[in-house]
Amino acid sequence: MNHPSLKKNKPYRRHLLRDGKLTAIDKRILERLQQDIYFVERPWKPMARELDISEVFLLQRLCRMKENGVIRRISATFNPARLGFASTLAAAKVAPEIVDQVAERLNGYHEITHNYRRDSEYNLWFTLVARNRRVISRVINRIRQYRDINSLIVLPAIRLFKIDAKFPIK
Amino acid sequence: MRRPARVLTQKDRSIIGALAQDIPLVGRPFKALASKLGIEEQMLLERIRDYKREGLLRKYSAALNHRKIGFRHNAMALWNMPEKDITEAGGIMASFREVSHCYARKKAPGWKYNLYSMIHAKSRRECLRVVRAISRRTRCEDVKILFSTKEYKKTAVVY
Repeated sequence: MNHPSLKKNKPYRRHLLRDGKLTAIDKRILERLQQDIYFVERPWKPMARELDISEVFLLQRLCRMKENGVIRRISATFNPARLGFASTLAAAKVAPEIVDQVAERLNGYHEITHNYRRDSEYNLWFTLVARNRRVISRVINRIRQYRDINSLIVLPAIRLFKIDAKFPIK
Repeated sequence: MRRPARVLTQKDRSIIGALAQDIPLVGRPFKALASKLGIEEQMLLERIRDYKREGLLRKYSAALNHRKIGFRHNAMALWNMPEKDITEAGGIMASFREVSHCYARKKAPGWKYNLYSMIHAKSRRECLRVVRAISRRTRCEDVKILFSTKEYKKTAVVY
Protein backbone atom coordinates (compact mmCIF):
# COMPACT_ATOMS: atom_id res chain seq x y z
CA MET A 1 0.00 0.00 0.00
CA ASN A 2 1.37 3.33 -1.00
CA HIS A 3 0.58 5.46 1.94
CA PRO A 4 2.21 8.65 3.19
CA SER A 5 2.21 7.54 6.79
CA LEU A 6 3.77 4.24 5.85
CA LYS A 7 6.57 5.88 3.98
CA LYS A 8 7.15 8.36 6.73
CA ASN A 9 6.94 5.97 9.58
CA LYS A 10 7.80 2.39 8.81
CA PRO A 11 6.61 0.71 12.04
CA TYR A 12 3.00 1.32 11.05
CA ARG A 13 3.31 -1.21 8.26
CA ARG A 14 3.61 -3.99 10.78
CA HIS A 15 0.41 -2.87 12.49
CA LEU A 16 -1.58 -3.14 9.31
CA LEU A 17 -0.95 -6.85 9.29
CA ARG A 18 -2.34 -7.55 12.71
CA ASP A 19 -6.06 -7.92 12.39
CA GLY A 20 -7.90 -8.44 15.62
CA LYS A 21 -5.57 -6.77 18.06
CA LEU A 22 -5.14 -3.10 18.78
CA THR A 23 -2.04 -1.66 17.22
CA ALA A 24 0.04 1.14 18.69
CA ILE A 25 -1.58 3.65 16.36
CA ASP A 26 -5.07 2.29 17.11
CA LYS A 27 -4.47 3.00 20.77
CA ARG A 28 -3.50 6.57 20.03
CA ILE A 29 -6.58 6.94 17.85
CA LEU A 30 -8.81 5.61 20.63
CA GLU A 31 -7.27 7.96 23.18
CA ARG A 32 -7.99 10.89 20.89
CA LEU A 33 -11.48 9.72 20.01
CA GLN A 34 -12.62 9.94 23.61
CA GLN A 35 -12.61 13.71 23.19
CA ASP A 36 -14.66 15.81 20.79
CA ILE A 37 -14.13 15.32 17.11
CA TYR A 38 -13.73 18.51 15.06
CA PHE A 39 -16.84 20.32 13.91
CA VAL A 40 -15.52 21.09 10.44
CA GLU A 41 -16.26 19.84 6.94
CA ARG A 42 -13.53 17.22 7.03
CA PRO A 43 -13.31 16.29 10.72
CA TRP A 44 -10.87 13.40 10.24
CA LYS A 45 -8.26 15.54 8.54
CA PRO A 46 -7.15 17.68 11.50
CA MET A 47 -7.42 14.66 13.77
CA ALA A 48 -5.20 12.63 11.45
CA ARG A 49 -2.70 15.48 11.36
CA GLU A 50 -2.57 15.49 15.15
CA LEU A 51 -1.88 11.78 15.13
CA ASP A 52 0.69 12.17 12.37
CA ILE A 53 -1.11 9.84 9.99
CA SER A 54 -3.11 10.46 6.84
CA GLU A 55 -6.84 10.99 6.72
CA VAL A 56 -7.32 7.85 4.60
CA PHE A 57 -5.35 5.74 7.03
CA LEU A 58 -7.33 7.11 9.99
CA LEU A 59 -10.59 6.27 8.24
CA GLN A 60 -9.34 2.77 7.50
CA ARG A 61 -8.47 2.15 11.13
CA LEU A 62 -11.81 3.58 12.28
CA CYS A 63 -13.66 1.23 9.94
CA ARG A 64 -11.60 -1.70 11.18
CA MET A 65 -12.25 -0.89 14.83
CA LYS A 66 -15.95 -0.47 14.12
CA GLU A 67 -16.01 -3.85 12.45
CA ASN A 68 -14.34 -5.67 15.29
CA GLY A 69 -16.51 -3.90 17.83
CA VAL A 70 -13.85 -1.97 19.76
CA ILE A 71 -15.69 1.20 18.77
CA ARG A 72 -19.40 0.88 19.45
CA ARG A 73 -20.20 4.14 17.73
CA ILE A 74 -18.96 7.67 17.21
CA SER A 75 -21.81 9.98 18.05
CA ALA A 76 -22.95 13.02 19.96
CA THR A 77 -24.17 12.65 23.53
CA PHE A 78 -26.50 15.32 24.75
CA ASN A 79 -27.39 16.56 28.18
CA PRO A 80 -30.87 15.04 28.51
CA ALA A 81 -31.93 17.51 31.22
CA ARG A 82 -31.01 20.47 29.01
CA LEU A 83 -33.15 19.01 26.26
CA GLY A 84 -36.03 18.83 28.69
CA PHE A 85 -35.67 15.07 28.97
CA ALA A 86 -36.14 13.13 32.17
CA SER A 87 -34.11 10.14 33.31
CA THR A 88 -33.76 7.77 36.21
CA LEU A 89 -32.00 4.70 37.48
CA ALA A 90 -34.15 1.78 38.61
CA ALA A 91 -33.49 -1.63 40.10
CA ALA A 92 -35.61 -4.77 40.17
CA LYS A 93 -35.60 -7.94 42.22
CA VAL A 94 -36.10 -10.94 39.95
CA ALA A 95 -35.80 -14.68 40.55
CA PRO A 96 -32.32 -15.67 39.32
CA GLU A 97 -33.63 -18.40 36.98
CA ILE A 98 -35.66 -15.92 34.92
CA VAL A 99 -33.53 -12.81 35.10
CA ASP A 100 -32.40 -13.21 31.47
CA GLN A 101 -35.98 -13.35 30.17
CA VAL A 102 -37.10 -10.38 32.21
CA ALA A 103 -34.06 -8.42 31.03
CA GLU A 104 -34.94 -9.21 27.42
CA ARG A 105 -38.48 -7.94 27.93
CA LEU A 106 -37.21 -4.73 29.50
CA ASN A 107 -34.84 -4.23 26.57
CA GLY A 108 -37.91 -3.90 24.39
CA TYR A 109 -38.44 -0.40 25.75
CA HIS A 110 -36.35 2.06 23.80
CA GLU A 111 -36.53 4.34 26.86
CA ILE A 112 -34.30 1.84 28.63
CA THR A 113 -30.78 2.72 27.53
CA HIS A 114 -28.64 0.61 29.89
CA ASN A 115 -29.51 -2.66 31.53
CA TYR A 116 -27.18 -4.75 33.66
CA ARG A 117 -27.37 -7.81 35.81
CA ARG A 118 -25.66 -7.23 39.14
CA ASP A 119 -25.00 -9.68 41.91
CA SER A 120 -27.28 -8.64 44.76
CA GLU A 121 -30.90 -9.11 45.82
CA TYR A 122 -31.78 -6.32 43.40
CA ASN A 123 -30.22 -8.05 40.45
CA LEU A 124 -31.41 -6.03 37.45
CA TRP A 125 -30.26 -2.42 37.17
CA PHE A 126 -31.38 -0.21 34.34
CA THR A 127 -31.58 3.43 33.30
CA LEU A 128 -34.47 5.12 31.55
CA VAL A 129 -34.36 8.28 29.48
CA ALA A 130 -37.49 9.79 27.95
CA ARG A 131 -39.00 12.97 26.61
CA ASN A 132 -40.55 13.85 29.96
CA ARG A 133 -41.37 12.55 33.45
CA ARG A 134 -44.77 11.31 32.36
CA VAL A 135 -43.30 8.85 29.89
CA ILE A 136 -40.87 7.60 32.55
CA SER A 137 -43.74 7.06 35.00
CA ARG A 138 -45.77 5.27 32.37
CA VAL A 139 -42.95 2.84 31.60
CA ILE A 140 -42.18 2.33 35.29
CA ASN A 141 -45.85 1.63 36.04
CA ARG A 142 -45.99 -0.89 33.26
CA ILE A 143 -42.87 -2.61 34.56
CA ARG A 144 -44.28 -2.65 38.09
CA GLN A 145 -47.07 -4.86 36.79
CA TYR A 146 -44.70 -7.61 35.67
CA ARG A 147 -45.51 -10.55 37.87
CA ASP A 148 -41.89 -11.68 37.60
CA ILE A 149 -40.63 -8.57 39.36
CA ASN A 150 -40.81 -8.90 43.11
CA SER A 151 -39.77 -5.40 43.97
CA LEU A 152 -38.79 -2.29 42.05
CA ILE A 153 -36.99 0.80 43.31
CA VAL A 154 -36.77 4.03 41.36
CA LEU A 155 -33.75 6.22 42.04
CA PRO A 156 -33.83 9.51 40.15
CA ALA A 157 -30.71 11.67 40.28
CA ILE A 158 -30.77 14.83 42.35
CA ARG A 159 -27.34 16.03 41.46
CA LEU A 160 -24.69 15.16 38.91
CA PHE A 161 -21.08 15.16 40.07
CA LYS A 162 -19.47 13.51 37.08
CA ILE A 163 -20.25 11.99 33.75
CA ASP A 164 -17.17 11.26 31.71
CA ALA A 165 -16.24 7.75 30.75
CA LYS A 166 -12.62 7.99 29.68
CA PHE A 167 -10.30 5.05 29.52
CA PRO A 168 -6.54 5.09 29.38
CA ILE A 169 -5.67 2.81 26.49
CA LYS A 170 -2.62 0.67 27.14
CA MET B 1 -25.22 28.04 36.65
CA ARG B 2 -28.12 26.15 35.23
CA ARG B 3 -29.68 27.45 32.09
CA PRO B 4 -33.29 26.57 31.38
CA ALA B 5 -34.01 23.86 28.86
CA ARG B 6 -33.71 25.28 25.37
CA VAL B 7 -36.88 25.44 23.37
CA LEU B 8 -36.24 22.99 20.60
CA THR B 9 -37.77 23.27 17.20
CA GLN B 10 -38.79 20.22 15.26
CA LYS B 11 -35.69 20.78 13.13
CA ASP B 12 -33.46 20.78 16.22
CA ARG B 13 -35.03 17.53 17.32
CA SER B 14 -34.33 15.80 14.04
CA ILE B 15 -30.77 17.15 13.97
CA ILE B 16 -30.14 15.97 17.54
CA GLY B 17 -31.68 12.61 16.71
CA ALA B 18 -29.33 12.23 13.74
CA LEU B 19 -26.22 13.33 15.66
CA ALA B 20 -26.93 10.78 18.37
CA GLN B 21 -26.59 8.05 15.75
CA ASP B 22 -23.31 6.73 14.47
CA ILE B 23 -21.43 9.20 12.28
CA PRO B 24 -20.73 7.88 8.74
CA LEU B 25 -17.06 7.03 8.30
CA VAL B 26 -16.52 9.08 5.16
CA GLY B 27 -14.43 12.17 4.37
CA ARG B 28 -17.30 14.61 4.83
CA PRO B 29 -19.65 12.94 7.29
CA PHE B 30 -21.56 16.12 8.12
CA LYS B 31 -22.36 16.59 4.48
CA ALA B 32 -23.82 13.10 4.40
CA LEU B 33 -25.82 13.73 7.59
CA ALA B 34 -26.99 17.14 6.36
CA SER B 35 -28.28 15.80 3.09
CA LYS B 36 -30.30 13.17 4.96
CA LEU B 37 -31.76 15.96 7.10
CA GLY B 38 -32.42 18.11 4.06
CA ILE B 39 -30.21 20.98 5.24
CA GLU B 40 -26.89 22.52 4.23
CA GLU B 41 -23.66 21.12 5.59
CA GLN B 42 -22.67 24.58 6.90
CA MET B 43 -25.95 24.96 8.72
CA LEU B 44 -25.50 21.58 10.38
CA LEU B 45 -21.98 22.50 11.49
CA GLU B 46 -23.23 25.79 12.90
CA ARG B 47 -25.93 24.01 14.87
CA ILE B 48 -23.42 21.53 16.27
CA ARG B 49 -21.18 24.38 17.43
CA ASP B 50 -24.20 26.14 18.96
CA TYR B 51 -25.28 23.01 20.83
CA LYS B 52 -21.76 22.56 22.12
CA ARG B 53 -21.45 26.17 23.24
CA GLU B 54 -24.82 26.06 24.97
CA GLY B 55 -23.91 22.89 26.81
CA LEU B 56 -26.62 20.87 25.12
CA LEU B 57 -24.07 18.72 23.39
CA ARG B 58 -21.96 17.09 26.03
CA LYS B 59 -19.46 15.28 23.90
CA TYR B 60 -19.07 14.17 20.29
CA SER B 61 -16.83 11.20 20.70
CA ALA B 62 -16.43 7.44 20.47
CA ALA B 63 -18.27 5.04 22.72
CA LEU B 64 -15.81 2.22 23.22
CA ASN B 65 -16.47 -1.36 24.15
CA HIS B 66 -14.91 -1.36 27.63
CA ARG B 67 -14.41 -5.06 27.61
CA LYS B 68 -12.50 -5.07 24.37
CA ILE B 69 -10.04 -2.48 25.61
CA GLY B 70 -9.37 -4.42 28.78
CA PHE B 71 -11.77 -2.74 31.21
CA ARG B 72 -13.65 -5.91 31.92
CA HIS B 73 -15.00 -5.04 35.30
CA ASN B 74 -17.39 -2.40 36.46
CA ALA B 75 -18.65 -1.84 39.93
CA MET B 76 -21.44 0.35 41.08
CA ALA B 77 -20.61 1.65 44.53
CA LEU B 78 -23.63 2.74 46.56
CA TRP B 79 -22.94 5.00 49.48
CA ASN B 80 -25.06 5.93 52.44
CA MET B 81 -23.59 9.38 52.89
CA PRO B 82 -24.68 11.87 55.54
CA GLU B 83 -26.56 14.67 53.78
CA LYS B 84 -24.07 17.31 54.94
CA ASP B 85 -21.11 15.44 53.39
CA ILE B 86 -22.64 14.76 49.99
CA THR B 87 -21.16 17.71 48.13
CA GLU B 88 -17.63 17.12 49.34
CA ALA B 89 -17.85 13.36 48.86
CA GLY B 90 -19.27 13.74 45.35
CA GLY B 91 -16.35 15.98 44.46
CA ILE B 92 -13.85 13.48 45.84
CA MET B 93 -15.40 10.60 43.89
CA ALA B 94 -15.47 12.67 40.70
CA SER B 95 -11.73 13.27 41.02
CA PHE B 96 -10.95 9.57 40.57
CA ARG B 97 -10.08 8.71 37.00
CA GLU B 98 -11.66 5.26 37.44
CA VAL B 99 -15.02 6.84 38.32
CA SER B 100 -16.97 7.49 35.13
CA HIS B 101 -20.29 8.56 36.64
CA CYS B 102 -21.20 9.96 40.01
CA TYR B 103 -24.70 11.02 41.07
CA ALA B 104 -26.54 11.91 44.24
CA ARG B 105 -29.90 10.12 44.08
CA LYS B 106 -33.14 10.09 45.98
CA LYS B 107 -33.45 7.43 48.63
CA ALA B 108 -36.25 4.92 48.10
CA PRO B 109 -38.43 3.27 50.73
CA GLY B 110 -36.26 0.68 52.45
CA TRP B 111 -33.23 1.87 50.50
CA LYS B 112 -30.72 4.01 52.33
CA TYR B 113 -28.14 4.73 49.62
CA ASN B 114 -27.96 8.26 48.26
CA LEU B 115 -24.64 8.57 46.42
CA TYR B 116 -23.65 6.40 43.46
CA SER B 117 -20.34 6.01 41.68
CA MET B 118 -19.54 3.83 38.68
CA ILE B 119 -16.04 2.39 38.71
CA HIS B 120 -14.32 0.83 35.69
CA ALA B 121 -11.15 -1.19 36.00
CA LYS B 122 -9.26 -4.13 34.60
CA SER B 123 -9.96 -6.38 37.58
CA ARG B 124 -12.35 -6.70 40.48
CA ARG B 125 -9.46 -6.16 42.84
CA GLU B 126 -8.68 -2.86 41.22
CA CYS B 127 -12.35 -1.82 41.53
CA LEU B 128 -12.25 -2.69 45.21
CA ARG B 129 -9.01 -0.80 45.70
CA VAL B 130 -10.70 2.33 44.29
CA VAL B 131 -13.71 1.85 46.59
CA ARG B 132 -11.39 1.56 49.58
CA ALA B 133 -9.50 4.68 48.57
CA ILE B 134 -12.78 6.61 48.22
CA SER B 135 -13.97 5.23 51.52
CA ARG B 136 -10.84 6.45 53.28
CA ARG B 137 -10.98 9.90 51.78
CA THR B 138 -14.70 10.42 52.38
CA ARG B 139 -14.55 8.73 55.81
CA CYS B 140 -17.63 6.76 54.82
CA GLU B 141 -17.74 3.02 55.35
CA ASP B 142 -21.40 2.39 54.66
CA VAL B 143 -20.98 1.25 51.08
CA LYS B 144 -22.44 -1.55 48.99
CA ILE B 145 -20.56 -2.75 45.91
CA LEU B 146 -22.41 -4.27 42.98
CA PHE B 147 -20.38 -5.80 40.19
CA SER B 148 -22.08 -6.22 36.88
CA THR B 149 -22.20 -9.81 35.77
CA LYS B 150 -23.96 -9.30 32.46
CA GLU B 151 -24.63 -6.43 30.12
CA TYR B 152 -28.07 -6.77 28.56
CA LYS B 153 -28.24 -3.41 26.88
CA LYS B 154 -26.14 -0.32 26.28
CA THR B 155 -27.51 1.99 23.64
CA ALA B 156 -27.74 5.65 22.77
CA VAL B 157 -30.77 7.65 23.83
CA VAL B 158 -33.51 7.88 21.24
CA TYR B 159 -34.17 11.63 21.09
